[in-house]
Amino acid sequence: MRPRLLSSKLTPAQRRLYSSVLVFFVLIFLAMIWPVVTLFSHARPLVLGMPFFLFYLAALLVGSFLVLLSLYLWENRTGSSSDPGEDSF
Amino acid sequence: MGEPHRLVFGSRGGLLLSSNWIVVLAVTLGYLGISLGVGLWSGRKTSKGPEGYVAGDRALGFLVLYFILGASIFSAFAFLGGPGWAYSRGAAAFYILSYGTIGLVPWYFFGPRVARLGRKFGFVTQAELLSHRYQSKVLSAALAVISLIAFLPYLTLQMQGAGYVFNVVTEGRIPNWAGAAIAYGVVLIYVFRSGVMGVAWTNTLQGMFMMVLAWSLGLYLPWKLYGGVGAMFERLAETVPEMLRAPGLGADGAIWTWGGYSSAIVISVLGFSIWPHYFMKIFTARSERTLKRTVVFYPTFQIFLIPILFIGFAGILSYPGVEPSDAILPTILMSLDLPAVVIGLFCAGALAASMSTGDALVHAAGSILVRDFYRVLFRPDMTASQQTRLIRILVVVISGVAYYFAVMSKISLVALLLLSYGFIAQIFPVLLAALYWPRSTRPGILAGLAAGCVVTTLWNLMPQLQWEEIHPGVWGLGANVVAMVAVSLMTPPMDPDHVGQFVVD
Repeated sequence: MRPRLLSSKLTPAQRRLYSSVLVFFVLIFLAMIWPVVTLFSHARPLVLGMPFFLFYLAALLVGSFLVLLSLYLWENRTGSSSDPGEDSF
Repeated sequence: MGEPHRLVFGSRGGLLLSSNWIVVLAVTLGYLGISLGVGLWSGRKTSKGPEGYVAGDRALGFLVLYFILGASIFSAFAFLGGPGWAYSRGAAAFYILSYGTIGLVPWYFFGPRVARLGRKFGFVTQAELLSHRYQSKVLSAALAVISLIAFLPYLTLQMQGAGYVFNVVTEGRIPNWAGAAIAYGVVLIYVFRSGVMGVAWTNTLQGMFMMVLAWSLGLYLPWKLYGGVGAMFERLAETVPEMLRAPGLGADGAIWTWGGYSSAIVISVLGFSIWPHYFMKIFTARSERTLKRTVVFYPTFQIFLIPILFIGFAGILSYPGVEPSDAILPTILMSLDLPAVVIGLFCAGALAASMSTGDALVHAAGSILVRDFYRVLFRPDMTASQQTRLIRILVVVISGVAYYFAVMSKISLVALLLLSYGFIAQIFPVLLAALYWPRSTRPGILAGLAAGCVVTTLWNLMPQLQWEEIHPGVWGLGANVVAMVAVSLMTPPMDPDHVGQFVVD
């Protein structure tokens, strides 16, 4: 009856991978709010024509996209799933 | 979506219209005609019952699902309020970019499980899943009521946005009430006829159109006014650097608080994946891979917000003092002496943004009222065709009510909107508990939800409880989780065999 975030059907290696991804997204979340965001909230320097802060947010967006995309491609290649079940569809 | 934004539609003060309004109207009506055609065509193959009308026979592919999610989020707010926020509040508008970055990521993890349960038990709405897990009709009805409280002001704003756009580009020749009626007449017809498939395919069309328009305007306007995006931000960094860094400005024009900025992101991130009209699209996915691929590529839609915000920044130095700030994009467009066709395309794009959100809302509202409220409380024996018929009737009724509030009633629903975002976020802990915490019980969930909603309401009604402008929903979430855990642990656990069908093990 304990709370469980990841399926017990996962191998230890899979469990480590999914845990790391979850931690990564929690860190992204924290990076967008106070107090972490105060470290990056500057108008200058302009990067790619954008204020530094906007560039920072765009970088977080692209970073999250790439991490999730890699996970998706890895799942496709290995046939794994974050939540394996007999009745997958 | 996210934090409620007030779209104030007032006078068109000083807008110049040098273009031929008949051309503008023709382009707009052309777009509406195409939307209607696509909407009607799309529903011809699905089955007649709720599985077809509400969940598209669980057969939606990647492209359609991608656009349905992308376009339902970009409401009338995207073309009016988004630039308006950047224009009047600077970097405060970046919170919208922030929450979209990770807002949909939870779906990657719980989405496949939710979709599988949907197939197994025949769920097509969020409340069906949760009320079945907790064996509670009260929970089903409560979630239906929360959804409707949240949907109505949101839908009303979309209609007002549509009426406003029509009015502005025809120089007032088409009044707000008529513009809203024309746009939402089209929505009503295709939602009535085609259900979720009408929403899906029109959103695909509308989404593509919005993306092209946003990028074109977002890059063209800074170039036209400043010689480029970099040059624009260079000027802004010199003159108003506080507009380019968080937390930006508050509604009063002073620097916003970090509490206000951060909590807007927190509530929006938690609410994002759980908005009922959004959540129920999980049940439409053809396969687990389709669903996950949609989540993965969702941020590519989010990037589209960046040029939208450029438009607002472009107005700061070149068009000072525009009121209301939501009028900044139409103001710039009208002043640039653009060809009538371009103005018409803008009008169509803004309508697309309004309609692609409005259609999903009105469709979900009808489905939820029938499936989660009426059927559960009064008529458990309804047949599939009776349900679809009643959903269609309610789609008409709900559109009528929203239309009344949008153009006839003097009552402002903005206060309700503020409340609703806080309410929706309260569903997030319920969903987590349903799927990840076997020990959670029916009384615990109900107590948590009640505590969350009561605290959110209190903090909304009593500004003296406010601290650092932290969103009332955050305090509600705290009360929600404490009450849910405490009451769950004090009540006997639910039947493990039943719970085992839902939770991760």
